Amino acid sequence: METIMDLRKSLDDKKVTSEELFKKSNTLAHKYQEEYNSFVTIIDDYKHVNSNSLIDGIPFAIKDNFSTKGILTTASSNILKDYVPVYDATAYKKLIESGGVLVGKTVLDELAMGGTGTTGHTGIVKNPWDKSRQIGGSSAGSASSVALGIVPFSIGSDTGDSIRKPASFGGIVGFKPTYGRISRYGLFAFASSLDHVGCFTRCVRDAAIVTDILKGKDERDMTSLPDENINYVDLLDNDIKGKKLFYIKELTDLNLYKDSGSETIEVLNKFKETIEKLKSIGFIIEEVSFDEKLLKAIYPAYMTISCAEATSNNSNLTGIPFGPRGEGDNINDIMFDARTKGFSELIKRRFILGSYILQRENQERLFKNAQRLRRIIVDKTNELFKTYDAMILPAGGGIAPKFDSEIDRMSPRYLMLENHLVIANFGGFPSITIPSGFVNNMPIAINITGRQFEDGLVLNIANKIEEQLGYKGIIKEEYDV
Amino acid sequence: MVTKEKLKDYAAKLMFDMDDEGYDRTLKEFETIEKHMALIGEIDNISEISPMTFPYEIYHASLREDKALECLTNEEVLSNAKDTKANQVKVPKVVG
Repeated sequence: METIMDLRKSLDDKKVTSEELFKKSNTLAHKYQEEYNSFVTIIDDYKHVNSNSLIDGIPFAIKDNFSTKGILTTASSNILKDYVPVYDATAYKKLIESGGVLVGKTVLDELAMGGTGTTGHTGIVKNPWDKSRQIGGSSAGSASSVALGIVPFSIGSDTGDSIRKPASFGGIVGFKPTYGRISRYGLFAFASSLDHVGCFTRCVRDAAIVTDILKGKDERDMTSLPDENINYVDLLDNDIKGKKLFYIKELTDLNLYKDSGSETIEVLNKFKETIEKLKSIGFIIEEVSFDEKLLKAIYPAYMTISCAEATSNNSNLTGIPFGPRGEGDNINDIMFDARTKGFSELIKRRFILGSYILQRENQERLFKNAQRLRRIIVDKTNELFKTYDAMILPAGGGIAPKFDSEIDRMSPRYLMLENHLVIANFGGFPSITIPSGFVNNMPIAINITGRQFEDGLVLNIANKIEEQLGYKGIIKEEYDV
Repeated sequence: MVTKEKLKDYAAKLMFDMDDEGYDRTLKEFETIEKHMALIGEIDNISEISPMTFPYEIYHASLREDKALECLTNEEVLSNAKDTKANQVKVPKVVG
């Protein structure tokens, strides 16, 4: 499957035009829509602004929780089913001004609150490698549109693992840079202290290219980081000599997961094989212990913080200035009715949890303790980053789940192996997931997370690993599994 | 102890309601949630730690220049409202 750089060359060599690329993407988007449901909206009109950037003339897709002026933006929720924004998100604006061509707005888990790709108001998103399986979420359609080969890259948001987990299930690259590296202006907020903008691509180099375009200080997002005038793509020199990585014992120890099924065992065995391969090319990789108790508390702390922040962020969804107007004789009843009808039960359950956490009598025990746990985890990780350049781990404990599968939510696999990617949201660490092989004919992945602000280092390490593992640009139709 | 009545109150505070079965399912879900929350409480000396509300500490707030940025027009602001009048969003009378 062609990468951004492949397409750049074809465009520069005049072997193809931007409009032809768009038409191909548009045709594929329509072709796969009924089967996989990647999009809320497919754009049929070719619109292109000339630029001299690397993505000039190249098609892309963006998650439907980014504000796009004049284009329906629903966050995959009924409460925004007719909402047409009147301004552009900064990330989207930058892509358009850099010559990117919009192919569509992608389906997400409702309001980005979910990890399955099954809760959007327009239906479930399916995994291109096996239609009976999830692609994961919440950036489900952004992942599937790249995994299907419709677009070479797409934009997502990542609050817990919403880019990096679906990337792992789809055999593609998913990157979220340091918190604040990319402006969140115009991204519908879920949990502001954890929300990141990032991308899905077919290779690590493309993730660097897209991040180079998106990064930078934005006057409209006070948490955005100043641009350091670094081009990440220029830092990809593959020089990893002496680079030290660590993996966490409690997330890779077979003894802890012996009851998690053969798939998990295979994922962990393959991870160990990958580690040996990487040692052989010069990485120094060591095992460290992190404390099982702490790891098991990460997911509960994430749910606590994110649901609490979400209840406040979504209080603007009243159906009054925008959204379907509720019925009632007074303004309270109107809002009450709009919210009752507009949110699905799953969202309501998360909001109830947020409300519960924020009750005066629960704030200290639940909300504050979750925030304390967050500090312990981030401090501990930062301490490890004093010795090591990055952390390398399996992205999860298995392959993409079947739609009807269930997992024991108190199991070590669920609490630790399936949810550790949240560490990078707690600390705003740059974090990338890249394909690392197959289990039962489905892609698996590894995740590399590094120090805050050192996005270039993480990308460089990932680029070298990608080169060594050889799963760059895999797509089911072109790959014999 | 979380009860169905309490759940209804939590929902009402956020201005929405659910059907009865929804509350039953939520109550059931809270059995796991409580067990999850207990895992945080098991961490030694957690109460001595300062809560973390932002991913990193070296955060410098900067103020932008006091100049007007591009603004939305009145028409744009009202374009998604279902009921408008005299350049404003129209709602039932709030003050009697």
